[in-house]
Amino acid sequence: MSQGTPPLWEFVDICKAYPGVLANDKVCIKLLDGSIHGLLGENGCGKSTLIKTLSGVQQPDSGQILYKGKAVQISDPQDARDKGIATVFQEFSIVPTLSVGENIFLGNMPKTRFGVIDWKKVNESAAAVLAEMDVDIHPEAMTGTLSVGEQQLVEIAKAVAMKARMIILDEPTAALGEDEIERLHQLLRKMRSQGTAILYVSHRLDEVERIVDEVTILRSGRVVRASGETEINVSQIVNAMVGEDISEHYPKEHNATSEVVLRASHLSTKNGVHDASFDLHKGEVLGLGGVLGSGRTEIARALFGVDALTGGTVTLNGAPLKVRHEIDAIEAGLALVPENRKFDGLFFNFRASGNITAASLGGLSKLGILDLKAEDEGTLRLIEELEISPQAEQKTVNFLSGGNQQKIVIARWLFSDAKVLIFDEPTQGIDIGAKIAVYKLINLLTRAGKSIILISSDHDELLAMSDRIAVVQHGSISRTVPASDLTHDDLVRASAAQLTHAATEERQ
Amino acid sequence: MKRVFDSQLIGPFAAMVIVALVVAATTDRFLNPGNLSNLSLQVSIVALIAIGSTIVIIAAGIDLSAGSMVALLTMILAQFLKMAGIPLLFAVPLILVVGGLLGLVLGMITAYGRIPSFITTLAALIAFRGLALTFNNGSPIFSLDPALEPLFYGKVAGIPMPFFYLVFFYALAAFTMNFTKLGREIYAVGGNPAAAVLTGINVRKVQTLTFVIAGFMTAVGAVLMSARLNSGSPNYGQTLELQAIAAAVVGGASLAGGRGNILATLMGAMTIVIVQNGLNLNAAPSSVQNIVLGAIILLAVGIDMWRAEISSILGRLFGRSDQSVKTASPAKPALSKDA
Repeated sequence: MSQGTPPLWEFVDICKAYPGVLANDKVCIKLLDGSIHGLLGENGCGKSTLIKTLSGVQQPDSGQILYKGKAVQISDPQDARDKGIATVFQEFSIVPTLSVGENIFLGNMPKTRFGVIDWKKVNESAAAVLAEMDVDIHPEAMTGTLSVGEQQLVEIAKAVAMKARMIILDEPTAALGEDEIERLHQLLRKMRSQGTAILYVSHRLDEVERIVDEVTILRSGRVVRASGETEINVSQIVNAMVGEDISEHYPKEHNATSEVVLRASHLSTKNGVHDASFDLHKGEVLGLGGVLGSGRTEIARALFGVDALTGGTVTLNGAPLKVRHEIDAIEAGLALVPENRKFDGLFFNFRASGNITAASLGGLSKLGILDLKAEDEGTLRLIEELEISPQAEQKTVNFLSGGNQQKIVIARWLFSDAKVLIFDEPTQGIDIGAKIAVYKLINLLTRAGKSIILISSDHDELLAMSDRIAVVQHGSISRTVPASDLTHDDLVRASAAQLTHAATEERQ
Repeated sequence: MKRVFDSQLIGPFAAMVIVALVVAATTDRFLNPGNLSNLSLQVSIVALIAIGSTIVIIAAGIDLSAGSMVALLTMILAQFLKMAGIPLLFAVPLILVVGGLLGLVLGMITAYGRIPSFITTLAALIAFRGLALTFNNGSPIFSLDPALEPLFYGKVAGIPMPFFYLVFFYALAAFTMNFTKLGREIYAVGGNPAAAVLTGINVRKVQTLTFVIAGFMTAVGAVLMSARLNSGSPNYGQTLELQAIAAAVVGGASLAGGRGNILATLMGAMTIVIVQNGLNLNAAPSSVQNIVLGAIILLAVGIDMWRAEISSILGRLFGRSDQSVKTASPAKPALSKDA
């Protein structure tokens, strides 16, 4: 940090209150040119409030915003853009039905002197921006047809096109696979070397460790560790975020037995599963390792009857299992906790009870009439047992935090007494405290003799919480080994091998 | 019973009472027993059809076919009675079955044929009217059966028959939606179809069933329509589907699905009919009635959408926090009992 030049942006004692909560309490932060600044904290710590203030969405109640040492106001989002601040929110603001070029220049289309859009210039300038970023996307491609990772890059291209000096990224990797994260990081490093200031918000601490130059940690609206006060390493960051010494980030219990519960032999589907075989033991957590697109999720879909099997067999407790629809899998005692709890998991029109009993309505009713007393009792028991917010039964679940929502989705399968649970990215987008709660839930389940298939892009989590790991490549299981025999690097290498291979295949 | 009479009823109930008070203030004929009994006759057909419309809407569908289906079914009933000579006792149940079957067809086209219900039922709205015209060269059929009229005009203990139908079908529907597996599945399918699939709910079957219910309730409405006029006509039931949807919406049902309350729909239907009645009693022309009906629909949905803003304005005006409005949803007393 050079003493002479003032920071690009500086917040001094920024306060912002919402009814009943002081969201930012005298927050100070300095954002420097050519630096990637991590902004960390649990959900509700005031990160979003700070981002909204910086991007002009709202005004602080008090405090000063300094731009290169001079007090300024960021009066609205357009003003923020004019001052060179670009924000990439978690929910993308791209239009899927428009081309990449159109999206990059949306709202600011180059026009000919006749006032119509200069398409040649749109596509040329877009191509120039994408080339500058080293990104291989065609400007005329329909944005909706790109992968999520590529859409993310288009979103960043918008920022580059407007020559932003300050880029705010809110959970940029939540939907990305390992290779796409790496690509994003490369791009960010490049932008940093060109002098751009980057504010980086993420729950994935492993990647924070990899990319960030300095961190500011918020808790309950206050800065608990200013930049330079914390070493950038996961355990220190976690302790500062949670405010207590968390000795066990991954409280893994080993409950695996040798009894085989589910045996998948030579599974194949049209959707990318080729000859996949594995055993799942009672009380075991079997991790599926591999990159996004390796076939992890597809194997889960095949087991659960979402995609039809074109070959292979599944046995459950020794008996053959025929799954043609999801209902068959559920009745056999399988459960899928889907990757995207917002879109595929929760009923936002229900309170906790309706969500928790949704997969058990048959068993909960006699002659089609629901036993509402049993429902209430079961719900209350699970709310208590899983330490779900007591609010959960007063309001519909859209009012709950991500962690509580995830617990409710899992509680559904505890209520239905599923024997084999497939967890697809169970901790994505939830904060550390809630993650640990999910890990404890996994322990609770395996202790009760249930078996779990865990899919996670967070390698540390996968290694720490699994008993064994099946490495998935090209829709098949390349090997199954005890988790303790694998390292983070092994998984990354396995992923890389898949990518190289895929690239060669593509070329041929 | 807490589940049936939940907070969703407060708004529609308040709207109905306010409208009734306003109308009562403008004319003293409103509260006259004859007029009130007339009201229950007026509301009955729309309110019965609105049961089906609401259930379809809760499952995130829409049924535009009801008005034309009423016309078609009155013509088929007339055929049964006059041409085929089927006794009333059999003809009426038969019509209910036909209504259910028509709903089954629409539901299967929608759910299994993957055609949006708006399109399926719009096509049916047009086609059913045409189908109704193919009977009797498109002319109405009169004087169907002397025993038909009492189904609508009859009274038991001085209370008009339609009142009993309303009580019976609304009780049955409220029970189904709040206390049965099917009802819960309908709310789940409307709330999040993708999640419903993953919890093992047969989404297509549930969607289809909502249209079967709607077809059946439309047939109930059609029988009453025939009884009221002792005739069948291809011109009956114009815009009935829109009135039924309006009743559901005024009652707080969300067209996005997953949200709606059967009894609130009854209050929505009552609100609409009371306004029409009030305008009638004050000799307003029908043009005004339609304009007012449109305004009510906008106002009802608007109040729902702007609830937070309205409560904060009210809070500022009357100097109380908006907490009381927000926490109107019932806390469960069961908490302390069961623990």
